Amino acid sequence: MSAHEQAEGYLPHEPEKATLEGRNKILGFWIFLGAETVLFGTLFSAFIALRHNVMDGPTPAHLFELPMVFAATMILLTSSLTSVFAVQAMHRHKVGQMIGWLIVTVVLGLGFLGLEITEFNNYANEGHRFSTSAFSSSFYTLVGFHGGHVAFGVLWISLLIAQIFKKGLTTVTAPKIYVSAIYWHFIDVVWVFIFTVVYLMGKVG
Amino acid sequence: MTNEHAASGHEPKQRHRTEGPQKHIVAFVLSLALTVIAFAAVSAGEINTTFTYIILVGMAILQVFVQMAFWMHLKDRGHLFPIIAILGGVFVVFLLVIMAVYWLWW
Repeated sequence: MSAHEQAEGYLPHEPEKATLEGRNKILGFWIFLGAETVLFGTLFSAFIALRHNVMDGPTPAHLFELPMVFAATMILLTSSLTSVFAVQAMHRHKVGQMIGWLIVTVVLGLGFLGLEITEFNNYANEGHRFSTSAFSSSFYTLVGFHGGHVAFGVLWISLLIAQIFKKGLTTVTAPKIYVSAIYWHFIDVVWVFIFTVVYLMGKVG
Repeated sequence: MTNEHAASGHEPKQRHRTEGPQKHIVAFVLSLALTVIAFAAVSAGEINTTFTYIILVGMAILQVFVQMAFWMHLKDRGHLFPIIAILGGVFVVFLLVIMAVYWLWW
């Protein structure tokens, strides 16, 4: 049975898993996430090894502002919840609701990026630049890479919203929505380790 | 599962339990609580550094378990290969972090 035949009939209960292509897409995406885990692991291990080498720059304990990090954490955590609501709306075939939750997710992602840019700007003004020390380089590489993933997610989900408007929810578009939600949760999972290892442990010393 | 419905040829009404938002809200509240505990442990200060580290790592691992199980659907059926893929990644990360920590200490 091809994806097109299904798309013309009724939409199955879990449209993202209705076709072999959709199921393969999801499995392939998980293998990609396994590789992403290794990628972030290398950046984390570099940061852990270098985080005390501050040279003449500011120390983590002096630099980090926990209220701002806490706000960013709350935003990202909430956006993860809204993206799971989008997938649930998709399972109930409520396309309008799904688009609504996806838009909320994108807006929260943009809010997170705004906070991160403000934060980096503050740090740069305090003399914590990319080339200041091994600590600052590994910090910006790790946290910046995560921010880059958030920016990519915002762009990706925005494009998917546009595609849903154009093509509607079918067994072809549903796996894309599902996989982008998995990606967004993964970004949140990585952030859990960033606020723990980088910010909170940096504050402890 | 999907083949049955395709064969029946008409839209199934209420044949699936559509999962409600309850357990995802529970996962959200759990994540929230674990985050607040971690931030509070650091903000409180004056706690033994090693003990704070243990709290932080424990809270992070718990939170990641909650989010992956519920939000990334890893607790659902048919997720063996995704779990293997992600555990493969975690294994490499584990080695990398052990290496980094001991490089730092010794």
